[in-house]
Amino acid sequence: MDSNINKVLLLGSGPTQLGIENELDASAFEKLMALKKMGIKVIFINDNPFSVVSEEIQPANVYYQEINFENVKRLIEKEKPNAILPTVSGLNGLQVTWQLIDSGVLERNHVQILGISKDNIAKIINDNNLNDLLSEINEPIISSKIVNDYEEAFDFVRGIGFPVIVKPISPNRDTSRKLCSNGEELQAALEYSFSRTYVNQCLIEQSIVGLKEIEMVGVRDVVGNKILVSGLEDMDPIGIHSADSIIFAPTQTLVSQEYQRLRSATFKIMDALNLNGTCHVQFAQSRTDDKYYVTKVSPFFTRNTMLASKATGYPISYISGFLELGILLTEIKLPERFGNSLAIMEPTLDHTVVKIPLWPFEDVPDADRHLNTTIKSVGSVIGIGRSVEEAIIKAMHSSQYSPRDILPTAQKMDEDSLIRQLIHPLENRMLILIEALRRGFSIDELSELTKIDQFYFYKINQLLKIQEYVKNHPLCSEAVKIGHKYGFGDGMLAELWNTDIMSIRKINQDNGFRVTYKEVEPSAGEFIEKTNIFYSSYELENESSPFNSKSALVIGRGGNQLGPNTASDYYTTQVLIELHKLGFKTIIMNTNPNAVSLVPHLSNKQYIEPIQLGNILNIVEIEKPEYVFLPGNRHYLTKQLRKFKNLKVIILPPDQEKTSFNKNKANTAVDLFIDGNNILPITTTTLDTANNKNSLKYITNYYQPMKQHTKYGNYLIDKSISMLKNSDYQGLIQVLFDYDSLTDQFEFIGFRPIRITETAFLSKITGVNWVRVLVKKNVGNVDFNRLEKMVKPDHYLRVANMISQFPFNQLRANQHAGSTQQEVGARLEFKNIN
Amino acid sequence: MTTTRYLILEDGTSYEGKAFGSLATTSGEIVVNSTMNGYQEIITNQVYHNQIIVFTQSSIGNTGLDQNSYESVQPTAKGVVVREYENLATDHFKRISLDKYLKQHNIPGIYDIDTRQLRHHLQKVGNMKASIVDVDDEHAFDQLTATVLTNQQVAQVSTPKPYANPNDGDNVVVIDFGLKFGVLRELSKRKCNVTVVPYDTSSERILDLDPDGIVLSTGPGNPNDIKPGVLEMIRNVQSEVPLIAFGLGHELFAIANGAKLNPLFIEHHGSNHPIREIITNELLFADQEQGYQIDFKSVDHSKLFITYLDLINGSIQGLRHRDYPAVSFQFSPDGSPGPKDRDDIFDDFIETMATRRRQAYGF
Repeated sequence: MDSNINKVLLLGSGPTQLGIENELDASAFEKLMALKKMGIKVIFINDNPFSVVSEEIQPANVYYQEINFENVKRLIEKEKPNAILPTVSGLNGLQVTWQLIDSGVLERNHVQILGISKDNIAKIINDNNLNDLLSEINEPIISSKIVNDYEEAFDFVRGIGFPVIVKPISPNRDTSRKLCSNGEELQAALEYSFSRTYVNQCLIEQSIVGLKEIEMVGVRDVVGNKILVSGLEDMDPIGIHSADSIIFAPTQTLVSQEYQRLRSATFKIMDALNLNGTCHVQFAQSRTDDKYYVTKVSPFFTRNTMLASKATGYPISYISGFLELGILLTEIKLPERFGNSLAIMEPTLDHTVVKIPLWPFEDVPDADRHLNTTIKSVGSVIGIGRSVEEAIIKAMHSSQYSPRDILPTAQKMDEDSLIRQLIHPLENRMLILIEALRRGFSIDELSELTKIDQFYFYKINQLLKIQEYVKNHPLCSEAVKIGHKYGFGDGMLAELWNTDIMSIRKINQDNGFRVTYKEVEPSAGEFIEKTNIFYSSYELENESSPFNSKSALVIGRGGNQLGPNTASDYYTTQVLIELHKLGFKTIIMNTNPNAVSLVPHLSNKQYIEPIQLGNILNIVEIEKPEYVFLPGNRHYLTKQLRKFKNLKVIILPPDQEKTSFNKNKANTAVDLFIDGNNILPITTTTLDTANNKNSLKYITNYYQPMKQHTKYGNYLIDKSISMLKNSDYQGLIQVLFDYDSLTDQFEFIGFRPIRITETAFLSKITGVNWVRVLVKKNVGNVDFNRLEKMVKPDHYLRVANMISQFPFNQLRANQHAGSTQQEVGARLEFKNIN
Repeated sequence: MTTTRYLILEDGTSYEGKAFGSLATTSGEIVVNSTMNGYQEIITNQVYHNQIIVFTQSSIGNTGLDQNSYESVQPTAKGVVVREYENLATDHFKRISLDKYLKQHNIPGIYDIDTRQLRHHLQKVGNMKASIVDVDDEHAFDQLTATVLTNQQVAQVSTPKPYANPNDGDNVVVIDFGLKFGVLRELSKRKCNVTVVPYDTSSERILDLDPDGIVLSTGPGNPNDIKPGVLEMIRNVQSEVPLIAFGLGHELFAIANGAKLNPLFIEHHGSNHPIREIITNELLFADQEQGYQIDFKSVDHSKLFITYLDLINGSIQGLRHRDYPAVSFQFSPDGSPGPKDRDDIFDDFIETMATRRRQAYGF
């Protein structure tokens, strides 16, 4: 390692959007752990108010600013770091870094780049340069050419063969693309495209639509040692964005030679880029011959890097944190619970992981639901099983196509629409595939129409048969056994048979059906690796045993969805951290591969299981936790869990049902913390909406303190305290007012528990972590006096502003002002008060 | 309807599972393979002669067997144990499904086994015999205990007669101890004119074929059980022509040069262990099919260099003779199955043959 590095500027993820969830923050967290271990000081820039990392770093070293050239430049000049780490900041981070190189900022300030050399950053952010590099090392890429006339076009296509895609070259981002399979179609497409270009040029590109999409994630150290962490196979063919594809790990339908070819290609690319750290390479693999094409190279942390990490238990981000510093794979010392050799062993799996995306179309109804090359999913869930079926069922259940029906039907759809949707899939494609199988389409035919490998249809068909069998044998022990084997949990069986979960659990008890938990670890049982990541199966050996000391189970939020989105996971993470501080062994249950709450350092044990009553009860049975924490607004689960009187269930934020309003309109709020009889005012806030309606549903813009704080702040605070004095509200409470500028009057609107996103906002701006205070309030003691000293809502030097972000542009939806239900993320800024 | 069958182990453990493939009753040594792709290459590798293979990969058979991935004509494994198998032949090489193949070759399979538990168990108890049977009664266990597995594995799998795989390049003689086709493919790719000979062919007959180079193939069984004549042959040919050895061939090369071999507590079959090339310090991954390891202390350093080490179990993975152009590898660099991180070993071999020829004949 370069011993001159002692201060690193870490670039954060920026606000959550479609394509960037919390995987970058989770990854940054692991990097931070690695950097801290090496005694390195970290400066962090991120304007995402839901970042967990920014609260793990000294406040003075955290900059809540947009990650752009100007801000980062200013930061470098001020903080003088030795190095910049751009690999957990997505493509934006690399682009900013490139600008810093290009403008000489890095050189002038003697800042080195960790992980990837400056020459190679240029290759990654510019497709042409990347294609040159790939051609140089003889890795196949998709041929494309800009042509000026018909003759040139036909000559080119004669060389590469059909099918091809023709696009007009046009400055106004004309997105029309024509797929041609023969000369006639090419002629027509050229006529069309030449008529739409001012510069009289068209782009012709070899079409790889329909090929298998395979992804490889590897790590490499500075001297060239490499490990292929995991291969991933997209069930959906090329043509559907990988983020919108159902993905399997390990690869399911590649023969050894195909797999090894792609593995070798990945290594060759990592060598050519001379990178130290992690790299994610995407390929299009032909279904009829040995051919493949490199379609994308990401030498930085991506969502599927995270998936590879979750699938194998190999802590990619933590390990690549060391690699980026120039430490060799053989020199990395992992935390004690891992086996000695974990970092240098190539992971091998004895389970299957399935990732199913979640789409926001229910919340944004006017978006185009067709799946294509633009990303549309907002989150995803994973299911892990010992069999492929088990993994599919768990992931499907977590993705909640329908809470009741496990393999839902689309009986009403007419045949034409069905076929149309098989060819041009919408986000409900799984449902369509199931329906087509139900209607007796042959697997050959379906595979031809959808370009999905037959293997997957066999598996879905198998599941249909199992469901049919189970359905027809209600409460029969053999059906329970078979159901369990294929991933039907107790809750699902209860739903299928329209019965109470307790009657299924009775059958389990009578027949000795016991759930077994298997560890997700990268040696396939060769070594004892205490990754403490588990999933369920029904087999012989259970590998998870309860802790000797008091423990708490925290139920994660599952896949990211519009609304509080990643703020929910931030909230969950803070609960875990505080419980750990209070001396609990912490157990997290979650299905979101991108969740920070699943970072191994943040809990003592992780269960990757559907967040359903049956699965929760199974874990409770084995772990016997003192508390079950349920963060987030989850009314159905709350209701279900409250039926179990012997469970100490703690719902956060508390008192959600006590919300009461006079009106649905407000523009000012006072936030307070109430512990017993003590009431602590935290701050005042101005609430704003983009559509100026100020209806509560549309409040997505927050200023702290409120705009007329000096004039009315104390007045409103006093009023709020007196109103709350004899109420039974506890915890974080917001008192809402509506200010009428004509009358200069504040009308009292109501009380509500402070929402998840606003709690994160409050924590960032007050320096007090309010989630942790709430946890303390529930299971320990709050030092109210200390808190009182820390929170002073009377003098403000700066205004904090949290602005919610919406996915309307990305989804090309015709909407501007969004509701709280439609938030995808938020930005946080501070402005000094002059 | 699926038939219930049992996998029983010598230590008295029994596992209930379901039958696929052949319904024969079978016995063999039980070994675990942790490679994720390439079940076909594994099942057809002669190194598994008389062995029952447990796959840790939870589902095998997702692709059918294809014409390009056989490692032998006649597989000699004794059984297949897996959590789940898929009876498909879906990919573009579509030939035959796993179930059908195993039936054709009379190899029984058993699925629905907690292979993860089984592996944990075997890691604790070590190598042992096992059977796949219809009933797991006392009689079955008695039979298993009484079963004596042959120590003549090489004699059973080696070709009885020489055969040629003609091409117009270097003249290479392959000594067949249970040859896997991966090595032949690599030699073919490099245009070698190959003659495969039985394992007990004398050095005179081998040298009469006027080889540019000699390959000692991989193979099954205990290297200490090999006929002494084979070691004699190795000593005679290594001084005459470039030699390269893999797997069992490597083990025999070591014994022929004075080293001792000890059995591993548990055989290692997989491609997840990092192997370090000592001279370059580079890591590589390759398929390893290893039941024995060279005793470090027994290596005569006046004759042999150690060239590669397994960083997990510390075993010697490569040797080079100090005086002769002879090299050996415990692992299989041919990538069938497994990574091809070091398939340039074959290029080096071709280069060595060329250098030798230049020295001998001046061209």
